[in-house]
Amino acid sequence: MKLLLIFDSGLAGAGGKSNPNCELTAKKGMIGTGEMLAPHFNKIGGTVIATLYCGVEYFKDHQDEVVKKMTAMAKKLSPDFVVCGPGFNFPEYSEMCAMCATSILENTDIKACAMMSQENSATIETYRTKTPIVKMPKKGGTGLNNSIENLCELIDASVNHPEKLEEVKNKYCY
Amino acid sequence: MFDKLEKALTPIADTLSKNKVLTAIRDGFLVTVPMTIVGSIFLLIANFPIDGWSEFIASFAGEGWEAYLSAVTSSTFDVVALTGVLGIGYAYAREQGVDKIAGAVVALTCFLIVTPKSHPDYVNEAGKAFSGFSFGNLGTAGMFLGMITAIVSVLIFSWAMKRKLVIKLPDGVPPAVMDSFAALIPAAFAMTTFAIIHGIFKNTSYEYAHNFIYEVLQAPLVGIGRSNLFEVTYQFLSTLFWFFGINGPAVTNTVFGPIHKVLTQENLDAAKAGLEMTNIFTAGFSDFFCNYGGGGSTLGLVIMMAFLGKSARIKQLGRLSLPAAIFGINEPIIFGLPIVLNPIMAVPFILVPVLNTVTATIATNIGVLPITSGVQLPWTMPIMFSGWLVTGSLVASVFQLAQLVMDMLIYYPFLKMLDKKYLEEESLHADETDDLDDLSFDDLSFD
Repeated sequence: MKLLLIFDSGLAGAGGKSNPNCELTAKKGMIGTGEMLAPHFNKIGGTVIATLYCGVEYFKDHQDEVVKKMTAMAKKLSPDFVVCGPGFNFPEYSEMCAMCATSILENTDIKACAMMSQENSATIETYRTKTPIVKMPKKGGTGLNNSIENLCELIDASVNHPEKLEEVKNKYCY
Repeated sequence: MFDKLEKALTPIADTLSKNKVLTAIRDGFLVTVPMTIVGSIFLLIANFPIDGWSEFIASFAGEGWEAYLSAVTSSTFDVVALTGVLGIGYAYAREQGVDKIAGAVVALTCFLIVTPKSHPDYVNEAGKAFSGFSFGNLGTAGMFLGMITAIVSVLIFSWAMKRKLVIKLPDGVPPAVMDSFAALIPAAFAMTTFAIIHGIFKNTSYEYAHNFIYEVLQAPLVGIGRSNLFEVTYQFLSTLFWFFGINGPAVTNTVFGPIHKVLTQENLDAAKAGLEMTNIFTAGFSDFFCNYGGGGSTLGLVIMMAFLGKSARIKQLGRLSLPAAIFGINEPIIFGLPIVLNPIMAVPFILVPVLNTVTATIATNIGVLPITSGVQLPWTMPIMFSGWLVTGSLVASVFQLAQLVMDMLIYYPFLKMLDKKYLEEESLHADETDDLDDLSFDDLSFD
């Protein structure tokens, strides 16, 4: 199963607050927080083919361009699933996750989801009907590992077991 | 193994970090931190660790110039229980969902109700005994009573508020007036309870709640803080939680924070009284001799990433993370390297702060590392400056550097392992040629 990750520069290991204007970048394979997710992805037979990222300030200044280009890149790479997150309680990055996942679902045939903590209530409220948003703890909260397992269940259901998808969504998404 | 450990730790972290009482105590004391840091700056200026400093300032400010500064230090350190009560009362009222400032004031008043006001042993030349509040009760010795009073008084206050035991005024009365009357009966419940408690203690051998709580609770708990295992347990648990992505200090400080605070204050009190400081495990010790560059003591790791890393990822992340790491922030590598849930980094991440703590404890015990003075500095204070300012000795700065080298030696083999893995991935990607090479956002089509 081919997976594509959409991160911010912090999660990508390219410096978060120290590199907020980092432009749109695409790297083959997994980087940064991808290392933390990889063992879980392996369990469902998932491999990260590429990671796309940019800085949060860059996203704030170029929202339309970022969403459009992330969507186009997803279409070009044609993965089985796009993970936009984990957004933790980072407000700008979580919004980017929700917007990118929504755009990919609306404009391509690729499956996607966002992932963030409940602190992003406005973003969750706006996008929860447009894209699955997997629940997770805020930065430093309890249950991170668990939420990654839930994300994997959602990916697996979306790609391999569509009959289970609604049930999984109801269980793990907002 | 990690799964089992996480399953065991998560409920503990949840219980501690979501417990309203412990959260209120932790957050309430945080309210006092800016004041104690500013107070520490005044204290540092008055006792700057340079020979001849006092005489130099006296040459233009006059003899006894330190007394002007002590007005500030006294008003922060000597009344730390008082400001703590206000903070905890406020934070607990917030947790209870009642009027926060009213809760804070009720807590303060109840604390003053049980605090001694007459001091027959202190008599002036005219034979009149001192009547009023003494620093001895409002400072370090009153801290645990302050915590208990704030929690119990706000609990009574919010109980009455939630049961609507309030005076209702007609509509049209201004909200501020309405709120103050609403707080009247709940405040009366809390204050009466503490008046009764005060009366009961007056009729025991303890005389005051202060003496009772100090003897049965504060002294034994702070005694635990003096044991050699105290700091090592704190550091071990804090980093262990961080490894699972849980903010360790936010959990552990609910229990260890108040004890650290008292240990720190006691050293400060001793120094001011001209006595020997005896507590090793102060907040300064914890911040500046156990961890460099954030949880897991990762400053050494980041330096090596920046200058010894061979893979592009490690090198770039190290260079970007170094400025923040100097000021004790390691968020970029916690999730960017990553460290959270990364089994390769688990061993050094948990081991290094423990070893720092053990070596610093031994060094203090054998007299190599001077004891920390109780001065409270921002935890972002860079290495070497922090050691010097918190002990007044450059030996401490040298010791910090030695610890940093030790940290690097421990992290080195694990970093090499990770660096090698990333380097292999990078060269593998460079050798493979497929349609994923040369990924670029510049040549995308938007059909």
